[in-house]
Amino acid sequence: MPKSSFYDEEFYPSPVRQTWNEFQRNHIALAGLWCLGFFVLLVLLGPWFLPFGPLAQNTEAILLPPAWDANGDVSHLFGTDGIGRDLLARVVHGCQITFGASFFLVLLAMLVGCSIGAYAGMSRGLRASIINHLLDAIMAIPTLLLAIIIVAILGTGLMNSMWAITLALIPQFIHHTRDMVGREYRKEYVTAARLDGASDARIFFHSILPNMIEMLVVQATMALSVAILDISALGFLNLGAQSPSPELGAMLSDALETAYVAPWSISLPGAAIFLMVLSINLVGDGLRTALKNRVNQ
Amino acid sequence: MLVYLGRRLNLLFFTLLILCIASYTLAFLFPGDPLTNLSGNPISSEDQAQQLRMMYALDDGYIAGFWQYLKLTLSGEWGLSLTSQNPIFADICQFLPASLELSLYAMAVSLLVGIPLGIAAGLNHRRYTDMSILSVSLVGFSMPVFWLALLLILIFSLQWGGLPMSGRVSLIYEIPQYSGFMLVDILQADIDNKKQVLMDALHHLILPTLSLSIVTCSLVVRLTRRSVINVMASDYIKAAYAKGLSRTQVFWHHGMKNALLPIMPQLAMQFTVLLTNAMIVEVIFSWPGIGEWMMQAIYQRDFPAIRGGMLAVSALVVIVTICVDLLIRTIYPLSKKQLHAQV
Repeated sequence: MPKSSFYDEEFYPSPVRQTWNEFQRNHIALAGLWCLGFFVLLVLLGPWFLPFGPLAQNTEAILLPPAWDANGDVSHLFGTDGIGRDLLARVVHGCQITFGASFFLVLLAMLVGCSIGAYAGMSRGLRASIINHLLDAIMAIPTLLLAIIIVAILGTGLMNSMWAITLALIPQFIHHTRDMVGREYRKEYVTAARLDGASDARIFFHSILPNMIEMLVVQATMALSVAILDISALGFLNLGAQSPSPELGAMLSDALETAYVAPWSISLPGAAIFLMVLSINLVGDGLRTALKNRVNQ
Repeated sequence: MLVYLGRRLNLLFFTLLILCIASYTLAFLFPGDPLTNLSGNPISSEDQAQQLRMMYALDDGYIAGFWQYLKLTLSGEWGLSLTSQNPIFADICQFLPASLELSLYAMAVSLLVGIPLGIAAGLNHRRYTDMSILSVSLVGFSMPVFWLALLLILIFSLQWGGLPMSGRVSLIYEIPQYSGFMLVDILQADIDNKKQVLMDALHHLILPTLSLSIVTCSLVVRLTRRSVINVMASDYIKAAYAKGLSRTQVFWHHGMKNALLPIMPQLAMQFTVLLTNAMIVEVIFSWPGIGEWMMQAIYQRDFPAIRGGMLAVSALVVIVTICVDLLIRTIYPLSKKQLHAQV
């Protein structure tokens, strides 16, 4: 039976596979992915390999420079801060708090934003007009400003700042989902599904959502970098995580007092934030280009 | 156009109304006595409380109270700050121009540097120029603005010692407040060492402006680059090449306008991001602007000031966005197709 395997002769990669192939061709984005993978591993496993806790003080070694400095000591790889806490331990725990908190709040914002966005995109008439008006007004206010305002109302603290940033991120997700759903809703495959008698919910989950997932992932990476920057900014302003907590932004504002004698206590936590955001942006950018190339093919 | 103008003004009106409602409601949500939160007067006697209740119409229900609050807000009666007992409106009028000044200069710098770089990258798409500009802009885009400011202070103020690290102008000079914009004030002021003071103020401006504009500049580069690439790949550009025009002619006559106009609203939106970043940078550089003032208010739980600052900053952001949108509308014909108001 020569014809039975007719379709198997040529290999058709799945859409995800195609995106991955496109993504791989961009070496810088791939490097970003490795870096991001390193951070994820660090966040998940790092604390188990550390000899010191983030709050443990070593009064013998106060303001010790990093190990690569002439006066440094290898037992404290990144040196210590003003009250003898090991900076490496603090940076790793800080990454855990900052990255973990941002990850969960982006997930939450995405869930809520998508549901409201899908609703707004599929509704018509006055209701849609009111939702859109309100949203557009909120979209104009930058997320950090919104977060500062919400923190001012709720009071300071890591949990409150997380809520604030979640609330501030939601409008962006609503906006993108609404636009996307509105665009897809007018396409013919949706009309075909409607003619088959599918309900709005079924159309959304079975027809539109699979086409939207990748856009959502790109949007989520962008939101993740914004969330990390915002959470550490709030921490830095003493509005988010409070002082003894090893949140990266709060660590930076702690280190201000010893900035002149211990510049490493400012540069290392900041560099951690920077590398994290950079790798996320690289992955997000690479993913977006890969998707665009795939669709254009 | 008139319909559109109406829609925009409608949006502006309702947004401001919602902001006012929010700020009025906040007075009741904040901990403490709503009367104190509204007026900023620590209530000392029963008599005074009665007077204030009359003034804010608190006994006549929520709607009447809000109406009264709206009237007071529009006439500039924003209450007193709890900590300093200064009128909040006067405080905001004094501090807001400082933030605006900083943001405007940073905006100007990032547009002047960002747009040419973005165009250069877009025209050399997929070549080394493009790659290097794109990577540098990605680095700038990922910098946390407060860390950047701290690094700049570490390098230029502490190590090198050439640039001042706080304030708008050295304390030895006394500049009478006139418009709130430092450079304008200095030029207006009647002092003999004008040139020296001006140089000093410019020195104070360098670091805050630099730390603000690096982030914004990289955003501008990315926006411009994307738009230039899209335009240069379109059919009318190919037609222009087919006509026999040179690269420069094609770009200046056909590409430039079409690439820059559609991104104008997004570029203008950067101003609001800048204003937020300015609030952080102000705290670091002790720049006496609205951000510093509001942070102090938040630390000291000065609720009338938080309310007033929130109202002022968000109203400013909304007004700027809508004005820019209207402006774009008048000069960019393609956007006229889209009727629904959208910020």
